[in-house]
Amino acid sequence: MTDIEYVRAADQGSALALVAEDPDAVFLAGGTTELDLALKDQVVHPSRFVDIGRLPLRGVTRDGDRLRVAALTTMEELAADPTVRERLPFVREALLLGASTQLRNMATIGGNLLQRTRCRYFRDPDVGACNKRDPGSGCAAIEGVARMHAILGAGPSCIALHASDLCVPLVAMDAEVELLDADGTRTVPLTEFYRTPGDRPDVENVLRHGELVTHVQVPLLPDGARSGYLKVRDRTSYEFATTSAGAAVTVEDGTITWAKLGLGGVGTMPWRAWEAESVLVGAPASERTFRAAAEAAIRDPFTVPGTAFKVELAKRTIVRILRTVTS
Amino acid sequence: MTATLAKENVIGRPIDRIDGRRKVAGAAPYPSDFDLPGQVHAALVSSTIAAGRITRIDRSKAEAAPGVLRVLTYDNAPTLTDPPQNALGSTMRRPLRDDRILHYGQHIGIVVANTRAQAVAAARLVEIEYAEEEPVLDIDDPRAAVEDNPFGMASSRGDVPAALAAADVTVDGTYTIGAEANSPMGLFTTVASWQGGRLVVHDTTQAPSFLRVALAVMFEVPEENVRVLIPFLGGGFGAGLRLWSHTVLTTLAARVLDRPVKLVLSRPQMFHSVGHRAASRQRVQLGADRDGRLTAIDHDAIAANGLGDHLPSPIVAVTPSTYACDNVATHERRAHLNIPFTGFMRAPGAIEAHFALESALDELADQTGVDPVELRLRNYAEVHPVSGKPWSSKALRDCLEVGSERFGWPGRDPAPRSTHDGDQLVGQGMASATFEFYALPCTVRLVVDRRGNATVRTAGTDIGTGTYTITAQLTAELLGIDVDQVRVVIGDTDQPPAPQSGGSGLAGALGAAIQDAASELADQLARLDGHPGESFASLLDRHGLDELEVTGYSDLAGAATHADVAPAGAFAAAFAEVGVDEDLGLIRVRRLVSVIDGGRVFNAKTARSQAIGGAVMGIGMAMLEELAYDPNTGRVANGTFGDYLVPVNRDVPDLDITFVGEPDTFNPTGSKGLGEIGIVSIAPAIANAVYHATGRRIRDLPITLDKML
Repeated sequence: MTDIEYVRAADQGSALALVAEDPDAVFLAGGTTELDLALKDQVVHPSRFVDIGRLPLRGVTRDGDRLRVAALTTMEELAADPTVRERLPFVREALLLGASTQLRNMATIGGNLLQRTRCRYFRDPDVGACNKRDPGSGCAAIEGVARMHAILGAGPSCIALHASDLCVPLVAMDAEVELLDADGTRTVPLTEFYRTPGDRPDVENVLRHGELVTHVQVPLLPDGARSGYLKVRDRTSYEFATTSAGAAVTVEDGTITWAKLGLGGVGTMPWRAWEAESVLVGAPASERTFRAAAEAAIRDPFTVPGTAFKVELAKRTIVRILRTVTS
Repeated sequence: MTATLAKENVIGRPIDRIDGRRKVAGAAPYPSDFDLPGQVHAALVSSTIAAGRITRIDRSKAEAAPGVLRVLTYDNAPTLTDPPQNALGSTMRRPLRDDRILHYGQHIGIVVANTRAQAVAAARLVEIEYAEEEPVLDIDDPRAAVEDNPFGMASSRGDVPAALAAADVTVDGTYTIGAEANSPMGLFTTVASWQGGRLVVHDTTQAPSFLRVALAVMFEVPEENVRVLIPFLGGGFGAGLRLWSHTVLTTLAARVLDRPVKLVLSRPQMFHSVGHRAASRQRVQLGADRDGRLTAIDHDAIAANGLGDHLPSPIVAVTPSTYACDNVATHERRAHLNIPFTGFMRAPGAIEAHFALESALDELADQTGVDPVELRLRNYAEVHPVSGKPWSSKALRDCLEVGSERFGWPGRDPAPRSTHDGDQLVGQGMASATFEFYALPCTVRLVVDRRGNATVRTAGTDIGTGTYTITAQLTAELLGIDVDQVRVVIGDTDQPPAPQSGGSGLAGALGAAIQDAASELADQLARLDGHPGESFASLLDRHGLDELEVTGYSDLAGAATHADVAPAGAFAAAFAEVGVDEDLGLIRVRRLVSVIDGGRVFNAKTARSQAIGGAVMGIGMAMLEELAYDPNTGRVANGTFGDYLVPVNRDVPDLDITFVGEPDTFNPTGSKGLGEIGIVSIAPAIANAVYHATGRRIRDLPITLDKML
């Protein structure tokens, strides 16, 4: 039995130092994923939890046309924020369609960005072949029971899904992540924060050891834009997305003049549908445009038998949300 | 009271559970709540292959780990006697018998340590090497050993091939159902303690009397030296009906260490350690005339079974009893696979059969143009179709008619795809259900004291269905006392033997035994010269007695063999409305009407709760639940509540539940079992509604969204 040290950080500086000094130390925020992984599933093996839950990194502030969300703000708190309600309605929708009320009251925004995949092969230590846990060991999911797995960004090394709902509208809106370590702060666009698995599925993002997510900045919707988030799943609540789409558009005289589209349930990371946006902007808000955008978004998917249905479902999900936000 | 016992109107009243306060206050002890002095903790070592042999075991690292007291594997554990047969058929292969691996997750060792965390950690340190073989995991795998007619349920009346050939209309459909996990909330637990040669075991079992016998045989002690305690059980749905290896291993560890040992299964372990509803495939062929009158039913079923296991859970047993039809043939097979042992799950067999039969009947309605409700009435079995005897009670007609009216079925446009609501196609479907009579012998002891208070004792347990409460209600009514004057002592094998809580059989058997005891008490009172209106206190006082004790016994199945009626189980009809978003494959149940003939209902509230639970579970079966096995390793690939989906509140619409019918004429209390009937017709009603909505007949459960695309 391996003991895990638990330390509650008194301030930001000591939190950073406590993690930086030990390569196996991790930050602990809401704990809704990390404790499962470390204590129940035992697939991650931290030496030390540095609890940052009491650090003053909570709350939402507005800076002009941007929202600055401190990383320890809970999902429920962000969903209840009046600016989010009015100016980022699809962020609110995505939040409230995620997890359960109980979890949303514990889970933090920073933690949501960093949540680990739900791939059951990753989460079961008795499964030997998992490149994400043990680089080079293979991927049991590819020949296994795959359903809640990725078709975009996926490859022979890994098909694990990034299951966040929140990140779908965030990545669509060009949100940025503020990172802090002893050397100072840096800001990374969320679209450049994550990495596709390639040959290193264990490296999921650009975060360095000891670096702390302190804030997420989200541009507000421009005036006149409309947004929506559609989550498709078998169970009506408390299930991860089979497919999802978050869209924000401005339509003038029947023509789409501005469009942002993010996809969930399909990517190894929160998926920005750049190609679809190119199809949409300047085109008439029509079924034909929406379908063309959907085709552009789901190009060259990597599927296995259990995920093949997602190709068409994701396209229909895109068409439906575009129809909804332009109607 | 006394000489003329009986108090009106206690039975049937929707009183709150008498154990409800204890439950919500956390004062009702479930198995995992028991901790004994000196207790130590166990964790299981499970196989990580599905087929083969163990070639090497190295316990040394585990044995050296902090807090570890003992590691038991097949090569160092004492040999046990094989468990015996019981009324539920053969019990499982005993654990640690040899080096063979029959399925992934097989319990191949147990580690005992001072704390649970130490035991869990050390279990991972036991090194096992295997000679692995390729597992056989699918009933269609040609390598699977297939057993024909394993339960003697193949049957035939009339001439089915001729009738099918001559039929005006035929239906031929193949229906598949994925494996399902029982998924009770309470984690199965064993706390075993040996005191000398006497064993006390707290165990999550629905069949304490059977468990007692099994443990006595396996550990070679007299039955009276084994006490099984299960006063409260955190859900079972059939998972607690079999003897499972974790119970045996914990008991063994306690004996070896001579200390109380506690084991609580983890949630993932629950998915491969306590049984499941086997995956099945059925073919139903119907023949009928142009008016939809059935002339032939041919029903063939194959289901999965664990390797070397013989769980008697037939699918086609109910088929001959369902409809008036002269030509009926049934066939049944089992494919033995490298899967965790199957078990009983709510309405085992009956629910599979009804999904196939009631879907096929819907197809027949579609082909003949006869309304589905009318079709069932035209084929109504007025007498028991096998014995020809009159039913002891049957209000299926009322189920159909009342359900039809409550649902607003008349006037439904029968054409598929005829109703839209926004993005949704709306469909309405229905199904009916026939459940078979089932009972085992039951004994109770009834004691009445000077204050007129009664104590009822029996070994059977309350799996959450309300057994405590209805026992008190029955006793109160029969003795003419108040419900709160009745003390109910159950879930303890030091009390008189009772059947399992399963097969919808306990309430009837227990009720009849209580009635027998009350009748015996009345005889005693008569012998004591009790006079009308005399209190127990006065009577006992006159005779210088502290209390009166009587024993009651029932054997309804025995009585059934020479009855001039066909003892009936419950009947039901369900009506479902679904909305289908065809583009996205999403199905939502919009309305559900369930009408049940359960004979005399002992408690309207707990009965309704049973029907609600059945409907919710039926929604899960229809749309969500399927155990997935990894095709390479046989590992349960979705063994958590995040991956194996059961319905949540929002999946369940407002449920309209009604009870109809009269007291049954065979069971002396007039009751028929209610625990399972509420689930039986739900999945076919939903599948039929999906067909009506979309014109697509899905013959494969669960109907997940990918099947609709």
